[in-house]
Amino acid sequence: MVDPRIEKLAALLVERCVDVQPGWQVLVMGYPPARPLLEELCRQIGRRGAYALLRVRVDDPPLRAWMLEADDDLVGRLAEIDGHDYDAMDSYIVVLAPENTRTGSEVPPERVAARNAAMRPHMKDIFSGDKPWVGLDFPTQALAQDAGMTLAQFEDFYWGAVLIDWDALAVKMRKIADRFDAADEVRIVGADTDLRFSLAGRHGRVDALGANMPGGEVFYSPVEDSAEGVITYAEYPACYQSHQVGGVRLRFEQGRIVDASAESDEKFLLGMLDADEGARRLGEFGIGCNPGIQEHMRNTLFDEKIEGTIHLAVGNGFGFLGGTNESAVHWDMVKDLRPGGRIELDGEVVQENGKWLLDL
Amino acid sequence: MISDDPRVDAYAKLLVERCLDVQPGMEVLIRTTSLARPAVLALQREIARRGAFPVLRIGFVIWPTNPAWAAEAPEELLSELPEIDRFASDRMDARITMDAPENIRDGTDLPGERFQALKRAEHYFYRRTMSGEIPWVSCAYPTEGLAQEAGLTLERFADVLYGACLIDWDAEGTRMRRYADAFDAAEEVRIVGAGTDLRLSLAGRHGEVDQGHTNMPGGEFFYSPLEDSADGTIEFSEFPPSYQGHDFGSIRLVFSGGAVVDASAAKNEDTLHGLLDRDEGSRRIGELGIGCNPGITRPMGHVLFDEKIDGTIHIALGQSYEKVGGKNQSSIHWDIVKELRTGGRIELDGKPVQENGSWLI
Repeated sequence: MVDPRIEKLAALLVERCVDVQPGWQVLVMGYPPARPLLEELCRQIGRRGAYALLRVRVDDPPLRAWMLEADDDLVGRLAEIDGHDYDAMDSYIVVLAPENTRTGSEVPPERVAARNAAMRPHMKDIFSGDKPWVGLDFPTQALAQDAGMTLAQFEDFYWGAVLIDWDALAVKMRKIADRFDAADEVRIVGADTDLRFSLAGRHGRVDALGANMPGGEVFYSPVEDSAEGVITYAEYPACYQSHQVGGVRLRFEQGRIVDASAESDEKFLLGMLDADEGARRLGEFGIGCNPGIQEHMRNTLFDEKIEGTIHLAVGNGFGFLGGTNESAVHWDMVKDLRPGGRIELDGEVVQENGKWLLDL
Repeated sequence: MISDDPRVDAYAKLLVERCLDVQPGMEVLIRTTSLARPAVLALQREIARRGAFPVLRIGFVIWPTNPAWAAEAPEELLSELPEIDRFASDRMDARITMDAPENIRDGTDLPGERFQALKRAEHYFYRRTMSGEIPWVSCAYPTEGLAQEAGLTLERFADVLYGACLIDWDAEGTRMRRYADAFDAAEEVRIVGAGTDLRLSLAGRHGEVDQGHTNMPGGEFFYSPLEDSADGTIEFSEFPPSYQGHDFGSIRLVFSGGAVVDASAAKNEDTLHGLLDRDEGSRRIGELGIGCNPGITRPMGHVLFDEKIDGTIHIALGQSYEKVGGKNQSSIHWDIVKELRTGGRIELDGKPVQENGSWLI
């Protein structure tokens, strides 16, 4: 018998997040610890009259051993079969279930960037939002350990963050998005932080039963040349591709990062920012709204949804939100505003210390 | 999971270099389960060293079979591979199938007609390797499931597997070629043993020596006998034959004019008759093989190993091999192994060439 929580989660993913249609080819990708969910997804996709193409991964990144060994020019090329998988699929669901979240951290950033660049053309319809997809984590010891919890504690947290009343939360987030849509300038103020950027002409998206599970954010692609000022991610490390970079501080001029430093792993930070032209500009501004997530997990998928935080991603923007920045990088960095921070829209304070001043 | 077994690296090297001879730019499709992770990592490294691409098709059972999906999807979707998988089948330059089951019964709970539909779908994937168009290899990775079926501990199973694979294949090839030359020159093969006296014609047919290319372990040479030539009786009693999870205890087949005219089994006889009635070609012999691998001395409950046991022969009912002149067509290819070490012999044109499993050549 299938765990009813897994059955319910699979139904949310298949029916709501992706809305699988008959005849679709759906790539179901994930790691062995997530087997119960992966198999339930295959069953439910089958019931919808669609193909579930299961791709179990045994390493992260999936071709890590190959990426470490291949010649420089080879690593930037993609097998035609792999490219075709992404070109021809109608949707994908990817379930991360790491046994060790540091796996992959030894792959040189330029190799990661080369591989991402080779994948990019095939991910066009994903980035643009033309193909529905969803990415999520499945509880493992490694995720629990990073979150400072036992597996049992982490599981309680996890199910509390994914099996919530999504329809009610979507209504609340829509109200927040309406207010930001109407504004031109956003100002983020906090410890060693005073950053302004423009959303003029841009519209936000409410993430509830969309591409992330758990969802629970409102997000934008800010105007590319607008960011001015400083942001310091003092509260949490910036986590990306198995790295955890402490104390990231970024200074922007005309939308571009002109000064970057970190208290730890600065080399990785600078390597990523130099990956390509777009990696030094903002691709995303997001506002965390999930009431089921209160603590930092060192896991972006959850952390960027923490109620009372914002996040900014350096790198690739979202075409479907009017974003024009292009990059092989998309690195979400989360800033906690609850200990002393605020969000201003065109000079009006709308959130103070993580609490909304709006009528929601 | 750390694999500190150096044999895994040697095994991966053997598969990539000898079995497939991977060339720069090739797309090498690897089908296995997540239990074979150490081998998958080693294969990635070897393929990278050859400037080629691994394409991973890892499942909980061997791709493209996905029992969870196949149990629920509309039946009409089961009998044809989706376009993405057909593209991979058309485009791959080589394939590795590495059996690594957690439980060898996985998938056997699917209703028969669904299982058959999946088998029909897989045909599309197999056609370019069965015709010899691209290099391929079938092999195995040590898992508890395989060891259990062989009646061994995991460690002992791994010893047998690597002992049968990491050998001097060129020397084995030379040895087997000598035997095959004698068979090539002969017209009639006669197999004599317990309850067995069967004659087959190889006139005009040439054998292929499996010296560690398409199977790992390899270690057999094989023919597709003349399709209408089999006459006599063969009894498979030493190693209980099975097919796709069905056990038969022992089997006795009587041939006339190349076709099975009488068949009995100690159990599941109806299933046996059903198999023989599957199609036009399922009553005829598609292959005669002679096992020669010195590393395999006992049955392992897995055809990849059992058909290579030194001192055995096997016949396959059904599909034959075009590359050795075979014309028989069938949706089945069922290898059944006959022990000759305990009292049997092979004659070529009336002259004994093997007695009780020992060569007289």
